[in-house]
Amino acid sequence: MEKILYVENLSKDFSGLSVLSEITMEIYQGELHAVIGPNGAGKSTLFNLITGMFKPSRGTIRFLDNDITGWPAHKIARLGISRSFQLINIFPNMTVYENIRNAIVSKYNLRFNWISILDRHKEIARESSRMLELISLEDVRDKLVSELSYGRQRQVELALTAALNPVLIMLDEPTAGLSVSLTRNTIELIKKITKGKTLVMVEHDMDVVFNLADRITVLNDGRILATGSPDEIRQNKDVKNAYLGRK
Amino acid sequence: MIRSRIYYFLWGMIGLFLLLLPKVLSMIHIHLATEILIFALFALSFNLVFGYSGLLPFGHGALFGVGAYVAVLIFKHFPGMPLLLTVLITALSGGLVAAFIGLFCVRLKAAYFALITLAFQMFLFAIALKWRSLTYGEDGMSITRPDLNLFGFGNISMHSVQNVYYLTLVIVTIGILICYLFLKTPLGNSVISVKEKDIRASFLGYNVFLTKLAVYSFSGIFASVAGGLYSFFQEFVNTAYIDLNMSMSAVFMTVIGGSGHFMGPVLGAAFYIIFQDWISSMTQHWWIWLGLVFVLIVYFEGGGLINLFNRERIDRFLSRLRK
Amino acid sequence: MHLPIEIYLVQMMHGLVYGMLIFLVASGLTLVLGMLDILNITHAAFYMLGAYFAYSITLQLGNFWLGLLIAPIFVGIIGVLIERIFLRKTYKGGHLSQLLITFGLLFIFGELVRIIWGTVPLDVSVPKLLEGSIPFGGMTYPIYRLFILCFSVLIFIGITLVLSFSRIGIIIRAAVSDAEMVNALGINIPLVFLGVFGGGAFLAGVAGVISVPFISVHSNTGLEVLLDCFVVIVIGGFGSLLGAFIASLMIGLLQSFGILWIPKLAIVFPFLLMVLVLILRPTGLFGVKE
Repeated sequence: MEKILYVENLSKDFSGLSVLSEITMEIYQGELHAVIGPNGAGKSTLFNLITGMFKPSRGTIRFLDNDITGWPAHKIARLGISRSFQLINIFPNMTVYENIRNAIVSKYNLRFNWISILDRHKEIARESSRMLELISLEDVRDKLVSELSYGRQRQVELALTAALNPVLIMLDEPTAGLSVSLTRNTIELIKKITKGKTLVMVEHDMDVVFNLADRITVLNDGRILATGSPDEIRQNKDVKNAYLGRK
Repeated sequence: MIRSRIYYFLWGMIGLFLLLLPKVLSMIHIHLATEILIFALFALSFNLVFGYSGLLPFGHGALFGVGAYVAVLIFKHFPGMPLLLTVLITALSGGLVAAFIGLFCVRLKAAYFALITLAFQMFLFAIALKWRSLTYGEDGMSITRPDLNLFGFGNISMHSVQNVYYLTLVIVTIGILICYLFLKTPLGNSVISVKEKDIRASFLGYNVFLTKLAVYSFSGIFASVAGGLYSFFQEFVNTAYIDLNMSMSAVFMTVIGGSGHFMGPVLGAAFYIIFQDWISSMTQHWWIWLGLVFVLIVYFEGGGLINLFNRERIDRFLSRLRK
Repeated sequence: MHLPIEIYLVQMMHGLVYGMLIFLVASGLTLVLGMLDILNITHAAFYMLGAYFAYSITLQLGNFWLGLLIAPIFVGIIGVLIERIFLRKTYKGGHLSQLLITFGLLFIFGELVRIIWGTVPLDVSVPKLLEGSIPFGGMTYPIYRLFILCFSVLIFIGITLVLSFSRIGIIIRAAVSDAEMVNALGINIPLVFLGVFGGGAFLAGVAGVISVPFISVHSNTGLEVLLDCFVVIVIGGFGSLLGAFIASLMIGLLQSFGILWIPKLAIVFPFLLMVLVLILRPTGLFGVKE
């Protein structure tokens, strides 16, 4: 299997505090890779480093034969890594349609186009509508996202992540705060949009993790505790001690 | 859709009024109308950055002043140059200066952007003041308006204020149209999206820095065209065209008119010019009254005069008419 | 062009004096910025008001020292009023509203000053006690300026001592780093803010008062001081008192030596330094925030 993301000795310090230490991991094309760990283990920081929100203090990140260490977020996004946020990060005063369209405009590399009228662009309109249908958001197409329920906003967040048609999708706790039924719907949606793509997911819901993941990486205290198949992780003593112990 | 028909009708009436204005109003009013048009363009350019991009440039007067000086310098040193070419060069100069300033400022947080653009403006003011051999400092430079050469259709003299008014009307209308269309392009959409949620935008592949730089430079184009029109109209330029008051006027006009709506700054410019004309006949301290109106509008979060015309009020008004 | 060393010494003294004055004004500004994340543009008006109040008081009562005593208190009160009435409202509104209101207020103060006192620069003579000059390295130097320097340094030492060792000082410094935490510890944060605000205004007023006899103060002074202070806190770092101190001295020296070397461009130097710092080290030399 092809290695698409390679992280080597990645570390991040904040004001002298070491948040991530010597993280080395590989992500293979097409796999569904879950990242788990207790709160404060550094999962979100790992995401933030890979997707370009912060610059690493040490270490390198390689994606599709490019050294993307220290690259700015927008450059990484255009290269093919797309992420969702734990705290919903969508355009509040725009409609669902306009939100999705923003991603489509970027995908078609029209962000700086100043000579055509956006509303008249048929291709963009078609793609945006198609995306809306894929994520089942057609019915709220012209509603302001700030007026949507939390569950539907999460859908929009997911849609934005997928609309760029990325190679690698990174989801940061996509089911956080969702009811059981909504979680199930979200998982179905995630399966739908990640078909043919690679997915790295931070999750706390162990059912989701162990049912979906091809491989799991366990983080603890900024370090990798273990990496392996769900069975291997389930039987790993260190992991059990640090994390799953109580259950 | 009765509402949109009423809007078209209203715009049509306004357009007609603007076209016939010099025939129905006195000389003083034509002067005022020309000033309103010029400052409307200036305020609109300011709002492209403030209202649509979320950046507050306290130094926008710099770009107005650059346009004013460039225009006069061309009139003075290159008297044969066609008027329209002068407009283009003025526009370009404003865009370039804005791009340069933007390079340093656009990345900064709100407060720092505001004050550093102000610092740049004071810097340019100082240059205008001290480089007497070029700008004649506070004394300024006078010119006479060159004719408008309509290649093939002869010359139109710009001696009468009426003709200046019409030229201004044409240029400002084109400018406003371009700004309006700009906001409807993908780049305009990028600008608005970046203002809405810059983090989300950058993770969708939008280059926040370049987007902001683009809109700031674009705004500089129209601010300098406004400045050039003004010095053309007044047949004069001096340091007052690039000073703090000029920067502040953009802020006042836009906030008082309303930054949340495209035509808000235009309304603000009209208010500003008329208010100035009216109050200064009663007291020489009209600036402080303007400042007071400004502070009050910000304090009470009124959103500006344009909110007197918002959809709900118009709908309520219409429904009362129907009864 | 070689100038005698005395001229350099004198210019250096000028620079230090002016730098200290700017520091007195900038200190209040940077502390409020660090604590409240507000850039209170109106602060620059406090310097100007201090000068004008002192002028009127001195004129009425015939005594400069009374002016020095009373004027800053008025300014402090105005500072507190502004915080209460105008700034309280804008905490929620966001940075843009704050900028607009504080700038509008600075502007209004400038106009009020113009209306009440006119546009002619203030003319107040040096108090009798401090008239004259003393010999200094071959030249003579005005006693009054030396007084300003010593007075300002004393104030600086006083502030530093208070901030470092007194309970209120520790609270203030903690609040600059993390206001929420301090609030959670049960300390009345709004009161602390008010105090720093008023105190900062008071200091700026003092600076205004003592500068009147030798610097030209006029209705545009608010803006000039604003830009100088702003350059100082950009260079020194937001929220850092030490940074403000060093940056103020740098700016003062830069301006006075700049006048020696290239007089026409002297005003540009602080500005250029600021742009340089912005490019190389955006948080300033001693920036507190990340």
